[in-house]
Amino acid sequence: MSSSLKWKGLFILAIVTIMALSAWPLKEKINLGLDLRGGMYLVLDVKVEDALRADRGKAIERLVEEAGDEGMTGLETEPTGDTSFVVRGLAVDKDAEIGAIAKEFLGEWEWQRRGSELAFDLKSDEAERLADMAVRQALQTIRNRIDALGVSEPVIQRQGLGGTRLVAQLPGVDDSERVKEIIGKTAFLEFRIVDYPLGGGGVASEEQILANYGGTLPANIEILEGDQKDDMGRTLSTSYYAVEKTSSITGRDLKTARPGLGQYNDPIVEFMFTHDGGQRFGDITSNNKGKGLAIVLDHRVVSAPNIESRITDSGIIRGQFTQAEVEDLSMVLRTGALPAAVQIFEQRTVGPSLGQDSIDQGIRAGLFGGLLVILCMLLVYKLTGINAVFVLSLNIVLVFGALAYFGATLTLPGIAGIILTIGMAVDANVLIFERIREELRAGRTVKSAVEQGFGNALSSILDANATTLLAAMFLFQFGTGPVRGFAVTLAVGILASLFTAVFVSRWIFDMLLSRSERVERLSI
Amino acid sequence: MEFFKNTHIDFMKYRLMWAAASAALVVLAIVAIFVHGKLNIGIDFAGGTELIVRFQDAPDTDKLRAELTAAGIDDAQIQRFGDADSHEVVIRTPLDEDAEGDTSELLAILNANYNGEPAADGFDLNLGGSDALADYLLGLDPFELRANDEALAREEYERAAKLVLGQRKVTGLFSGWDEITGIDGLEPEIATALESKAQIGSFAALGGGFVGPAIGAELRMKGLLAVVFSILVMMLYIWVRFELRFGVGAMLAIVHDVFVTLGLFALMDFEFNLSIIAAFLTLVGYSVNDTVVVFDRVRENMRKTRRESFVDTLNTSINQTLSRTILTSGTTLLAVGALYFFGGEVLRGFSFVLLVGVIVGTYSSIFVASAFALLWEELTHRRQGGDSHASKSNGGSKKSGGKSGRRAVAS
Repeated sequence: MSSSLKWKGLFILAIVTIMALSAWPLKEKINLGLDLRGGMYLVLDVKVEDALRADRGKAIERLVEEAGDEGMTGLETEPTGDTSFVVRGLAVDKDAEIGAIAKEFLGEWEWQRRGSELAFDLKSDEAERLADMAVRQALQTIRNRIDALGVSEPVIQRQGLGGTRLVAQLPGVDDSERVKEIIGKTAFLEFRIVDYPLGGGGVASEEQILANYGGTLPANIEILEGDQKDDMGRTLSTSYYAVEKTSSITGRDLKTARPGLGQYNDPIVEFMFTHDGGQRFGDITSNNKGKGLAIVLDHRVVSAPNIESRITDSGIIRGQFTQAEVEDLSMVLRTGALPAAVQIFEQRTVGPSLGQDSIDQGIRAGLFGGLLVILCMLLVYKLTGINAVFVLSLNIVLVFGALAYFGATLTLPGIAGIILTIGMAVDANVLIFERIREELRAGRTVKSAVEQGFGNALSSILDANATTLLAAMFLFQFGTGPVRGFAVTLAVGILASLFTAVFVSRWIFDMLLSRSERVERLSI
Repeated sequence: MEFFKNTHIDFMKYRLMWAAASAALVVLAIVAIFVHGKLNIGIDFAGGTELIVRFQDAPDTDKLRAELTAAGIDDAQIQRFGDADSHEVVIRTPLDEDAEGDTSELLAILNANYNGEPAADGFDLNLGGSDALADYLLGLDPFELRANDEALAREEYERAAKLVLGQRKVTGLFSGWDEITGIDGLEPEIATALESKAQIGSFAALGGGFVGPAIGAELRMKGLLAVVFSILVMMLYIWVRFELRFGVGAMLAIVHDVFVTLGLFALMDFEFNLSIIAAFLTLVGYSVNDTVVVFDRVRENMRKTRRESFVDTLNTSINQTLSRTILTSGTTLLAVGALYFFGGEVLRGFSFVLLVGVIVGTYSSIFVASAFALLWEELTHRRQGGDSHASKSNGGSKKSGGKSGRRAVAS
């Protein structure tokens, strides 16, 4: 054996060994896609306008408050967009004073007078920053919630730079409705003083509340709804509460929340305030004894108990919950509120049995297809067929090795890609073998026929595979999820077949032919 | 075994007929799509809700449709999924603009029709998830652990719930209590408690989900771009590597293959989804691949035998590569066929496209690509008065015109 043949042999052995080792054992080394292992795939859109509106609300509140301190009362404000509002009822000669207030407290806002109005606009880079922050906070909050759910190996990412979408891949999730519920819950908790009815409780209709105020609500009061439920947690009716618009205590002031049992053994949520939150809560409760305190979650009243005494450090939320509900609620309270609502754009769930079926069927199809191809090659090319079968097996080892090595994910279309490559990988062999046959027919010696066969077939092989590679590239670029998996296995399969059919197969021929000086016949 | 040894078939003799037949096939396919009325567009592109359900007993799709209609869902599409004895159906419903999809409504309707009114303290072992089952077991507390150690109880019941639902994974659906009592490592107390309180419902949801309209529109756009760009780039590739007439032939072959396959695909009512786009792109790649091998030989033969006319060169080249063409198509067909027959329901449409595509692609590389390359040649050069071959020496085989002389000497 010449030394170059030896080196080539070692090189092939090294590559195959590395690939085989990186893929073995298959079960541990190959990442399975959600469509094979079962799980849930979610695309969420963060409604950043929520965060922008919240910021706008704070700005308006601040402006009115500071202007009021300077003696400018009776201002009328009206939002005109997510990041803009107008102020009416200010004389032109007050512009300088408003300007000073805006400069000090509303630094991110630009303003100008338009006739009788002052128009405020949030600077665009500030709006972008707020939106970006909202998406990042939402990502973090959802991550925390999914961790708390105990999902193993979740992948939660932002889709694209600066986008508002989040993509979550949650393997093994078998209760998609609950996960959707938990992820999608804004969980914005507020404590608000109930103005009417006195003692909490709620009333049966909005009209009743309006009648109490003589037809129009005071400026600082709004009506919120809440559900009345029975013991089983089923909604019976809706109650209405007149509550103060602002709240100084929110979910942010909670240190922790956990499920517990109330005095009648009913499921409740127990919470503890942070030090600062507890002090403020103490002030509020001592100032409002005898009134109702509405516990408001995502703008619905959960319960409105009567304030009996000053409370500083901890409390409970009771609301005819089921056990599962208090667990989920305390969990979302612990992980914090989403800065903005999220909308689910896409959801796909694959049950574990469906995934397992797919794997079984994929393996069956692969084995069957592979066997047929092998038989076909042996039948057509006799002993030389063994060469093709051998390199085909190497090809499959290389494909799995490369998938494992690069951490690619195997999906169901990916399995199809591998099976397809089994059929197409022999193409290079066929091109070469047919060429060798032709050269033999033309009267060449075996050695020269092999040499010419490989040499002449190479250009066809490269051109032909380049086109399939191009197709795979476009699939990868434009495809998503499982389709990308297909593109990857197809591309890897083609590249591996180039190596095995052109390089390894040639090496085997050279090895065999180098043994004796003159080979008279080739079984092909 | 050699299939085609030294064949001399005159493939190009009836080129006009082949060209006409191929064009007719394309027209027929387009007509088929329109006459059939629709492509079965999946939720990937149309947006909508999808639910895959496995029933205990063979489901009656007409009855199911009537039940859904009665419950207010009148535009559901119901198809059998998998083998007839798997008792599976897939239900798809369109989604209103901007609505958030939800499979729980469909599940509730099925529940009402097939499981009856659930017991207040019941639990459907075929529908619930493992967290919910753990909570349920915690409520039943068959080990009577809760009074002493809540945390330990939770741990124990979570383990038991995983065991039970791990067993469901095998069949996708429990059909009798013995499947639960027989679970390895599951305490009899749990099995007994479940048997006395929980239910085995008459169906299970195997999977599903929804695609919102915004995502659907996006995927449509991406799919379209992928197909258009890849066809353009392949044309460009062939044009650069070969000559214009070959590029034209290859492109017509692609168009032919895509339309003929699409026509058959539409007639078979397979769902057109993302993976079908992948199949079509692969088909384009394969079709070009096959064409390139023939053209590559044509180019080589033009260098070697400069005297021969273009039509003779084409014929020789096709005959020389015939054995390879048939064999490669054969092995690919074997693999794709295995995929079609054994690869399962999800890949059925996908492998159908490839199955048809390989056959059509093989046909087209000879009868469409080569025939049109020749017709193009004849059309564009008849006016110059020369025979078809004369053009080659001035049109030139671009890249290797100079090199070919040396090669001929060397070999």
